[in-house]
Amino acid sequence: MLQNKHTFNQSSVSLELSGLPDYSRNDNENSISIISHWKLSILNQPEIEGGLDHLKSIISSFYSYTASIILDQDEKLSSDLIDIYLRNDGKHDVLLKSTKPDVEPLRLTIGNAELSDVIDCFDQLQNSDEINLDFSKLNPVYNKKRFYKLKTNKLVKILIPPLIALFSLSFVSSISILFYRNSYEREKELSYMVINKTSKQLSDVIRIY
Amino acid sequence: MLLAIETIDLNGSESMFSISQKLNLQDLLSSKVKIWKLRCSNPMRKSFVKNSINFNEFIALVKVTSEMARYLHPYIREILSSRDNYIHRPELWDNFSERYSDLISERFNSESVRVRKLTDKKTSQSTFTKVLLNLALCNSTNSHKRLQEILINL
Repeated sequence: MLQNKHTFNQSSVSLELSGLPDYSRNDNENSISIISHWKLSILNQPEIEGGLDHLKSIISSFYSYTASIILDQDEKLSSDLIDIYLRNDGKHDVLLKSTKPDVEPLRLTIGNAELSDVIDCFDQLQNSDEINLDFSKLNPVYNKKRFYKLKTNKLVKILIPPLIALFSLSFVSSISILFYRNSYEREKELSYMVINKTSKQLSDVIRIY
Repeated sequence: MLLAIETIDLNGSESMFSISQKLNLQDLLSSKVKIWKLRCSNPMRKSFVKNSINFNEFIALVKVTSEMARYLHPYIREILSSRDNYIHRPELWDNFSERYSDLISERFNSESVRVRKLTDKKTSQSTFTKVLLNLALCNSTNSHKRLQEILINL
């Protein structure tokens, strides 16, 4: 049986899927419900291909990473098959890990334009009537994680300066009290002797420890 | 984001109104003035007016933004590409960021710390990139739903 093939293109990225229709679900003959092979080509980068699990993992990772970048959340996404990091120059490092032993991970560096192209290809795949792939678990969850994270950070930022001030104040006060008490104790131990030297009533104080 | 669109499309306000008519949003965005009033509910604006924007108006603005971004996608992508290859071809990115900063200074309240961060070249570049990346992701159909979710959670 001949396999069906569908390609989704966007500028520098091309996503090709091959597979078969599932006739038990009354699929038409051009559709793909059983994906046997896929290939993601990014301009000037090695081709990425694999099985269905890899595709799902890559789609999910790219969607989640893009969402986290836009929402100012984590700038790093790590999973069993793929890691994506934001570089200092604003580009993105994609580390693809093979499931086969002794195969070195593949590192790609893509720009923001390529990242948007990849997401666009995945969007085309998601909106395609010909491909039946369950996207319910692949789409990112836009939660308010950042909001809570920011809140915690804000709380820490708000609390730390007064705590430092309080600590410094109590430290300086303790030292001062200690110093004052020591000198006071010493003062108490002193005996004073006033000697009238002359009739001019000049007086000297002689301290005796 | 609408200001970023205006940065790319010099006749942005006119295009936004045309797009709103095309999307059959006449009831919510009846005129250019109405769009302008809704945009003035942004507290960072100099002309900020404390009028609450309802959910339907918000969705309408999101749809217009998304549709405008689809229409301008080739330009947005080129600017992003210039940002990615800044060493070799910085012109597009420089033009965009300069005009965007100028528009922000012109329209936004420069007394605000957030606005000052946006006009500072050192701190604004990553924000501008994120705004453009967000617009670049609006290329597909139904992308306004993603934009809507992102904006709600921003």
